Amino acid sequence: MRSPSTRRTAGGEPISSEVTDRPITLSQVARRLEDSGSGAVVLFVGRVRPEVQAGRRLTGLDYEADRRMALARLSDLERQARRRFGTRRIHVVHRIGRLRVGTASVIIGVAAAHRSMAFEAARFLIEELKREVPIWKTDRWARGPTGRRRRTRRRPRGARSPG
Amino acid sequence: MPLAERKRRQEAWMTRTVQLTLFATAREAVGASRLERAVPSTGVRLDTLLESIAEEHPRLRPILRNARVARNGEYVVGKRLRVRPGDEIAIHPPYSGG
Repeated sequence: MRSPSTRRTAGGEPISSEVTDRPITLSQVARRLEDSGSGAVVLFVGRVRPEVQAGRRLTGLDYEADRRMALARLSDLERQARRRFGTRRIHVVHRIGRLRVGTASVIIGVAAAHRSMAFEAARFLIEELKREVPIWKTDRWARGPTGRRRRTRRRPRGARSPG
Repeated sequence: MPLAERKRRQEAWMTRTVQLTLFATAREAVGASRLERAVPSTGVRLDTLLESIAEEHPRLRPILRNARVARNGEYVVGKRLRVRPGDEIAIHPPYSGG
């Protein structure tokens, strides 16, 4: 379930997004941003946030993706960010599958000449990812008072932001 | 296109079917992540196809109103488009990644 590590757009730009069912780490993303011309590196990590509702505790989230389209949309967003903010390196990884509370679900890394470009591009990427990339999460709750494990409704879009 | 996918599309064309992939709430509403529908070789309008599926799975109807639809990996603009045997339709409820 891993994407090839180096792909290029028609224009020859490297595209590096990944959608994977394996654990994702900061070092894996940071490695892809090494670039002597960048004065700033911003790393954003989105994690599964603990939550309690009506006395029940969230144990985790199930993530799923339309993988092929998600990669295409992520590549698109990388291109847009590069154009808008003039960044030098971008690497986005999103994890799918069953994730426990506290686990990293998404990591976005941006390297740019100056910090403002890097911060703005990272912000742009996470906001657009949530709106435009075909990835979904479903809540998983601990056993409720009825003793039954319930899979409940999906939160409306944007109701849960990482971090 | 990966070999497995090309094979699936070829088979779908031979049997004159359209494959639908349902995600998230759409999958839950139907109780399956894939559906297959026979269509005439001249194709069928996408809105007609989706309407017939919504009739069988009424819980899908409100989800379809807010869903994006893709054909062969490209978003569909306007549901009057015709789908033909071998086409792959994906139903995308609002995204919630991150």
